[in-house]
Amino acid sequence: MTNTGMFFRMLFSAVFRRRSRAVMAVVASLVGAATLFCLAMICIAVPQQMNEEMRAYGANLIVTPTESGADGKVGIDSAMVQHTTEMVAAKGSEKHATYRYENVRVNAAPYVMAGIDTAEVRNLNHHWVVDGKWPSAGKVMIGRDVADAMGLEVGGRITIGYRASDNTSTSAPSANTDANNTGSQQSANSSTTGETSGQQTQDGRVSSDIMDTSGTEFRVSGIVDTGGSEDSIIYAANDDVAKLTGTTRGVDVIEYSAGTEDLNALVKSINSMTSMHVKAQPVTKITSSDTRIITMLQTLFWIVSLVVLVLTLVGVGTTISSIVSQRRNEIGLRKALGASSAAIGIEFYVESAMYGFIGGLLGTAIGYGLAQWLCVAVFSRSISFNWWLAAGSVILAALVAVIASIPPVHRATRIDPAVVLREE
Amino acid sequence: MDMLLELDHISKIYGDLHAVDDLSLTVPQGEWLAIVGSSGSGKTTLMNMIGCMDTPSKGSVKLEGRKLEDLNAGQLADVRKNLIGLVFQKFYLVPHLTAVENVMVAQYYHSVVDEKQALEALEKVGLKDRAHHLPGQLSGGEQQRVCVARALINEPKLILADEPTGNLDEKNEKIVLDLFRQLHEQGTTIIVVTHDALVASCAEREIMLNHGVLVGEKWNDEKAREAYEAAGGKPASTGAKVEGAQTGETAIGFADPTKAAKTGGEE
Repeated sequence: MTNTGMFFRMLFSAVFRRRSRAVMAVVASLVGAATLFCLAMICIAVPQQMNEEMRAYGANLIVTPTESGADGKVGIDSAMVQHTTEMVAAKGSEKHATYRYENVRVNAAPYVMAGIDTAEVRNLNHHWVVDGKWPSAGKVMIGRDVADAMGLEVGGRITIGYRASDNTSTSAPSANTDANNTGSQQSANSSTTGETSGQQTQDGRVSSDIMDTSGTEFRVSGIVDTGGSEDSIIYAANDDVAKLTGTTRGVDVIEYSAGTEDLNALVKSINSMTSMHVKAQPVTKITSSDTRIITMLQTLFWIVSLVVLVLTLVGVGTTISSIVSQRRNEIGLRKALGASSAAIGIEFYVESAMYGFIGGLLGTAIGYGLAQWLCVAVFSRSISFNWWLAAGSVILAALVAVIASIPPVHRATRIDPAVVLREE
Repeated sequence: MDMLLELDHISKIYGDLHAVDDLSLTVPQGEWLAIVGSSGSGKTTLMNMIGCMDTPSKGSVKLEGRKLEDLNAGQLADVRKNLIGLVFQKFYLVPHLTAVENVMVAQYYHSVVDEKQALEALEKVGLKDRAHHLPGQLSGGEQQRVCVARALINEPKLILADEPTGNLDEKNEKIVLDLFRQLHEQGTTIIVVTHDALVASCAEREIMLNHGVLVGEKWNDEKAREAYEAAGGKPASTGAKVEGAQTGETAIGFADPTKAAKTGGEE
């Protein structure tokens, strides 16, 4: 047997033949490693989860056309919608919905009607509270403000009139889009504030008669209540809007919930493609609150982790200090046999590292189990195992055990070997 | 005759207490010396100073011609592992290492570990079949024999034994003394601290301490005394001005009052 072999034989004997004491040190490291690893896993999982949760509150990116046609709004055609969507999807996950805004009249009063793909809008805006059902063929969903203004309820009937002259605008719908909101109302308003009586006739009909209440009758399938601009819009299926207006055209707004980590880079890349004739803008309200909350949560978790790290250091330090003090006689004996302080120090540091390593391995496994359980219970999703973080956790546990053992081992190696002989 | 150990007017002083008071002593290579005295007489303090585990407050300790006060902690550790084998009253075996591993620990700190040699050392003390037992599984006598095996594994020139039979029954005491006898015959210098008259009487020479002061010296082996004196060896002495102290160059004999310590006076 070589001296190295003897070193490890002594080491394993100290760990495995003194199980009760070794268990104490391992448990101290285990608790620290489990807590730290669990917190770190959650620190990583929470931003991802928060990002997804925040994206349920609507779009974080809107795309609008940069120009309109000579005879009115043209919008973004379906090919460009697809192309833009591919650009967004290339940077991460995405959900999107398109909106075609038209100015309509209900009982001669002007309103904004949005043509939507019901499934897309519903998928994008989980936070919309809908009393009744989403729009379908022949049925519209009206905003809460519209319903209150007209005393409408679910199941009621509404006659919507379309005047082409109300919708001939020389200004692009996106021109006034406020990036601090989802863009829906602003886009619609930009159209509304266009000429309402500039064109006297369109399709042979007189549009200057503000008392004209004729139009197409729709049933109210549901009332949407978001507390925002959506409450003053009438939502109908794209086909119904096309039928009502008698024209088919591109959409005025594409709303994206983009999963990219760098939204601004995505915005820049879209805007740099001038040939696309679209303009992308981040929805500041969503992205900044998302970032703020995630930063706050991460800061909180890191502070807690730091406190746990300090507590672990104290816990492991106390345990190892106790173990070392129980072995003072043994240390004195080793010194009496000719061991140098450095040799004894190395033996104890390696032993401490071993306790930390074993505790770190077990603690990391338990910490992962805890993090998994927490994420399933709180976020209803599982988290994947992060091997780098696990390796870091085990190394940190071993390191903490070694650092915690420095003061007691340093004290112990200064033991006068005569103490073991001082019993007359 | 070469002097292995030379103590020159050494004292160990704690405040007003003189644990060892101005002692001069020479021990030649191969001698078996017993240091006797009652509890608190300074025997163990003296042994610690000889064993490089303590330093004298005054005076000089010379081991194999080297002055210990000139050495640093690392060099003292080297002297301990190269020259000295230690045997303790309370054995002080590492509790989580087996008998053979405890012997190998001494090899580990000395030079190179050799399990075969360690087993041979255990065989010498009659414990080969108990080599892989933990100290907790061994009797007191067996533990002390492991301690002796550990002390002799590096073939030290000097064996320092502090009450080596203090915790043993008579049977085990005899075994340990026989081992010392064998080592002595092989030329190993042995210094035994004891207040057991039987153990002391096995030595060639005894010195007696009382409250740190040398109060007596006697030879149990006349041939050894003659050889010692022929080589220029002088009796131990003290400079302490205390009544009964052995201050001159004449040894003061003593009647071995330590016999009562273990046997209760039934020697």
